[in-house]
Amino acid sequence: MSYTHKLYIFALSAIVLVTFALLCYYGYSYYRLPLEERFFHQGHTLLKPGGGWGHGFGIIGSLSMILGIVLYMVRKRSRFLGRFGLLKHWLEFHIFLCTLGPVLVLFHTSFKFGGLVAVSFWSMVAVFLSGVIGRFIYIQIPRTIEGRELSLNEVRDLKSNIGTILSESYKLDEESYNLILDSTKRKVELYEKNVFLKFTRKYFNERKTISSVKAAVKKNNLSRADRKEVVNLVKHDITLNRRIDRLVTMQNLFKYWHVAHLPFAIVMLIIMVIHVGVTIVLGYRWIF
Amino acid sequence: MLFSTVPVIAQISPGQLASVHSHLEGISNCTHCHTLGDKVTNDKCLSCHTEIKARLDLHKGYHASSEVKGKNCTSCHSDHHGLTFQIIRFDKEKFNHTLTGFTLSGAHSKKVCKDCHKAEFIANGKLKSKKFTYLGLNTNCLPCHTDYHQKTITAPCLNCHGDAAFKPAPKFNHASAKFPLQGMHQTVPCVKCHPVTMTNTIKFQQFSGILYKQCSNCHTDPHHGQFGPNCMSCHSEASFHTVKGISNFDHFKTKYPLENKHQGVPCKSCHKTNVTDPVKHSRCFDCHSDYHYGQFAKQGVIPDCSGCHSTKGFTGTSFTIEQHNSANFKLDGAHLATPCFACHKKQEKWSFRQIGIRCADCHKDIHEGFINKKYYPDNNCSICHNPSHWGEVSFDHSLTQFAITGPHATLSCRACHFKKDSTGVDQQQFADMSANCSNCHKDNHNRQFETNGITDCLRCHNASLWKITTFDHNKTTFKLDGKHQNVACAKCHKTVTEQNITYVLYKIKDTRCESCH
Repeated sequence: MSYTHKLYIFALSAIVLVTFALLCYYGYSYYRLPLEERFFHQGHTLLKPGGGWGHGFGIIGSLSMILGIVLYMVRKRSRFLGRFGLLKHWLEFHIFLCTLGPVLVLFHTSFKFGGLVAVSFWSMVAVFLSGVIGRFIYIQIPRTIEGRELSLNEVRDLKSNIGTILSESYKLDEESYNLILDSTKRKVELYEKNVFLKFTRKYFNERKTISSVKAAVKKNNLSRADRKEVVNLVKHDITLNRRIDRLVTMQNLFKYWHVAHLPFAIVMLIIMVIHVGVTIVLGYRWIF
Repeated sequence: MLFSTVPVIAQISPGQLASVHSHLEGISNCTHCHTLGDKVTNDKCLSCHTEIKARLDLHKGYHASSEVKGKNCTSCHSDHHGLTFQIIRFDKEKFNHTLTGFTLSGAHSKKVCKDCHKAEFIANGKLKSKKFTYLGLNTNCLPCHTDYHQKTITAPCLNCHGDAAFKPAPKFNHASAKFPLQGMHQTVPCVKCHPVTMTNTIKFQQFSGILYKQCSNCHTDPHHGQFGPNCMSCHSEASFHTVKGISNFDHFKTKYPLENKHQGVPCKSCHKTNVTDPVKHSRCFDCHSDYHYGQFAKQGVIPDCSGCHSTKGFTGTSFTIEQHNSANFKLDGAHLATPCFACHKKQEKWSFRQIGIRCADCHKDIHEGFINKKYYPDNNCSICHNPSHWGEVSFDHSLTQFAITGPHATLSCRACHFKKDSTGVDQQQFADMSANCSNCHKDNHNRQFETNGITDCLRCHNASLWKITTFDHNKTTFKLDGKHQNVACAKCHKTVTEQNITYVLYKIKDTRCESCH
């Protein structure tokens, strides 16, 4: 990841976090009140859902989500837009807009969840949460730089020839060499009914393996940079091993995830339209 | 998931309505309050809240005040905030009640809202039936307060009462009443004239229908009608005890008519406190002090002054001569004409007792040292003098060595016993007086008949009759005989002047004829 891209990601994240923090800070005394008391808060006129700020949060948040969804959907399906930017970056912007949007909508609701529009809100929450899960699944599937999924063989080819690298670049004793090489090989997993226990045990085994690798390279008096590089090679291979192990599972999960993520978004949008329509009909037009 | 999160599907309400509006819940009722395209308008609110609209139309009440006028109802009264939301809520401590048209002041300012805003004070049946409302009260007093006066007073309560407390009634001005309070009436507690009774089993104080035109409506006549029914002819409201027009007061109507000197005496001299306070008047001593310091007391009782004095003046006295003569010292003679003070005020103070009855007690013995005491023992002047006339002396001169006879008896004592000295002042002499004639008489003969320095007048003259009757010229050196017997004495005894003394020359030394012839 380039520095510019890191800065881009940091900026997007910062916008979301700062927005959330500021709204919490300025609205805390209002939002913490029981519904029956809020009307009498001095910030009610601004912070109520139909208030100067509150209404704006709803409109801007909704537009953010709509924009985020539409842009990403169009980018994925349009050949024309395929030339503009990496799909990965569009996804990141989609995530930004669809994270910022719910945050603003959350404050638009003023944490009052009732009525039909609550369906839209909770749908939004579902979309958001599923998006988080989807993002996790997404990164579990190795992709090309354009974002295309890699096949199992392509993933296997990503593995480094760590044996060659170790023998050519570092002077290691045989015991250490064999230990490191062994650590990067896929292990045959024992059957474990409890998935959580399975992942936990595997996690700790991997940590243990990395610790033993660190000890081995340290024993061979490698420089600090060399030690770090060797350990990163091992970590990369272990991660790839993990992804190879889960690839099929994750690919299947990702198919099902779409089934959940999209309908919630559609429900959210439909009710949002009804909500906005009713609001406009009753004369609440914010600044317009 | 959707059905579990949304209790009422298709509910587009932003929140539950407050309990008072709960009958408007439901999608079909939105437009009861909301105007399509125009939020919630005041007209919508007032179409239901007609009681407010009626007040607004009358430009009365808080909603018609400058603070509210022109505002949207929703700026103060919102909804969709839950069943228990208080649509009417405001800072009761800071609420400016004046804007409602009824300023809370005095005792009202200490009340909480519910003390007044309660159903029993509301007349309107519709408002009265509400669970709670701030409407429906009247700014008049009686809807909330009990009519203490039980409809006996028709004037508005606030004409008299303030809002600090029912009692007292600070705005009541008795001066504007039919009976203005003046003078001492201002200090009389209200209840003295406005009695408190129990009427209709309620404590009641009468303020109307009280008789007031006659003083006797309230006051008892202490004079029992003696001075007539018009108390104000003498008394004023300044005080019963302060009599007005005192100069016109007819004291003869009292039991003690003012006569003579008493008429000029200031009232205060006798009426030390108030003129209406009873004053003892049966004896002079009730007002006057005993000028004589009890000198006339008999057996401890001082007789009244009126025995001697009258109201015409203290100086004069009605004590008669007869009364004086019945005392130890009878007045007669000059004493009758002697003013009292001559005897009774010999010093600064009058004295009527033990002043003595002897002459010397009053009179000075002018003969002291001049007359031998044997002639008036015990200084008893009356041996010689009498009260009728001091000059009438009844002294028996024969008791002395010089019995008075003849013309001497006709002389006053002064003729012999008083002589003027060189300064012209009378000097008395009683003792050691010579019996010689020359002691009193002048020797007109220029000592021609003096023998041994003494001229014995009686050799020629007679004490009873000065004229010489017994002189025998023949016993002289020159006998009268012949023609000489008929010759007038003056023919021979001529008047001569010698050393400025003119006298008749009787002793003629030269008796020769030719001395005359």
